[in-house]
Amino acid sequence: MIRFLKLYRVFVAQFIKNLMEYRIDFLTGATSFLIGQVTNILFITIIFNQIPSLAGWKYYEIMFIYGYSLLPKGIDHLLTDNLWNVAYFIVRKGDFDKYLTRPINPLMHVIMEKFQFDALGELITGIILVIYSSIKLKLTPGFGEVAVILITIVFGTLIFTSVKIACCAIAFWIKRSGSILQIFYMSSDFARYPITIYNKGVRFIISYVIPFAFTSFYPAAYLLRGGNGILCAGKTMLISTVIFGISIIIWNRGISAYESAGS
Amino acid sequence: MKQFKSIKRTYGAFVNAGIQDFIAYKASFFGFFIGEIFMCFVMYFIWKAVYASTGRTDFMGFSMIDMMVYVFLTHISGFLIQTDATFSIASEIKDGSIIMRMIKPVNVDLSILFFEFGSKIMIITCVFVPVMVGLEIYRYITLGYVAFKLVRLILFMISISISYLLSFYLNLIFGYLAFYLLNIWGFGVLKEELIKFFSGAVIPIAFFPGVVRKVFSFLPFASLTYTPVMIYMEKYNGMKLIFNLSLQIVWLLVFIGLSRGLWKWAEKRLAVQGG
Repeated sequence: MIRFLKLYRVFVAQFIKNLMEYRIDFLTGATSFLIGQVTNILFITIIFNQIPSLAGWKYYEIMFIYGYSLLPKGIDHLLTDNLWNVAYFIVRKGDFDKYLTRPINPLMHVIMEKFQFDALGELITGIILVIYSSIKLKLTPGFGEVAVILITIVFGTLIFTSVKIACCAIAFWIKRSGSILQIFYMSSDFARYPITIYNKGVRFIISYVIPFAFTSFYPAAYLLRGGNGILCAGKTMLISTVIFGISIIIWNRGISAYESAGS
Repeated sequence: MKQFKSIKRTYGAFVNAGIQDFIAYKASFFGFFIGEIFMCFVMYFIWKAVYASTGRTDFMGFSMIDMMVYVFLTHISGFLIQTDATFSIASEIKDGSIIMRMIKPVNVDLSILFFEFGSKIMIITCVFVPVMVGLEIYRYITLGYVAFKLVRLILFMISISISYLLSFYLNLIFGYLAFYLLNIWGFGVLKEELIKFFSGAVIPIAFFPGVVRKVFSFLPFASLTYTPVMIYMEKYNGMKLIFNLSLQIVWLLVFIGLSRGLWKWAEKRLAVQGG
């Protein structure tokens, strides 16, 4: 583990140098994700000019849930973006061989290799939204709440990463799984809003099949409306551990099924 | 007629190549497509909750059914006018393969355009037709009568064709500009987000307050998806319809002119190294 952290530092340092060189690129990337979020927030604001509440949730509560959903998503985006490249290009081109020949765990290596600063657009929006709406809602988190926040963000991030690893691993069999990853990743959009607006089928899917609701709605609802904090954090931990386990199994099977492509 | 035949002979191959390309990469297209359909359903549930909260059947002049037609049609229109011109041109300029287009007796922009026609034919048959049939069945079930009008569909097709050409030339210009940037991908996402916002893909332009709405509806972005969708939904009639169609054509001509000008300028300065 210590060796891993040491290596990670080297990789990040390398990446920051790279970033300094292409500053404008970084700005365009981050701005684009920022604008995407701002558009959605404007959309919610315009709707709320007409209605007092949406399915029983007030404006700042919706903002809080929305902002909260961006935190795990943003952290995952920042750290594990290279999985997209594996799904779309690396396996297909036969470049995955490189990871197998190095003395590090291939999955670790893939993740370490890239640090996606574009994600700051999402992360910063998320942090601002959460803080601003907490002030407006006069939320005063105690020790228990802070613990829930930390646990759910860490394990929520793990849910995103696990879904990505699992979809990405499919590429080992079919060479290119970017579109499958795209479908699953996009389904996290459902979790940005209170899941009480959906019908039972959708609710079940985003809670227990692709459990993105645990990355945002459930923890946010606990922080807003109260409830059993231990149950909320525990459920998130349990579900994300299970899905992480499944994704690692798929990944390992994928690696053993992997036959190099290309010449 | 003779001229038409020669165009067909020259560019027919590009259309064919476009169809082949679409078939080869259909998996990645359908990935995006299903993702967008997810987004449509998210919007469906949000609007359902909104209409339930207001207790009214009308929200700023849109009924729930209007809203659904708007959401689905806007997303599908997005697919119809989507173009890879930015990326093609920027990456070809960068790696020098643009020279392959320049030495052939074809127009650079027309050869890309006809290539894309191929994939558009596939998108219309595989995506547009089924979604429209579904939408009209939904309208029929909720309204109790057939709301579909053939004239509107034809007008929509005319309008969306202009939108596509407009989007194509707009993207071509972005492509020439992306030449100066390295992060073509980030630049592309930025461009998409801006277009989505200004063209009313997230929030119907009609929902914006007074002055903003007026400005937005004059900008070229409104001509992209908003105008054809409004035409199909019978929100634009009579003079308003003619005016908006003309506005689309004016913007199209402006952008064709701009892109030709920029290309002439770039052509002189283009230096391809190696080979």
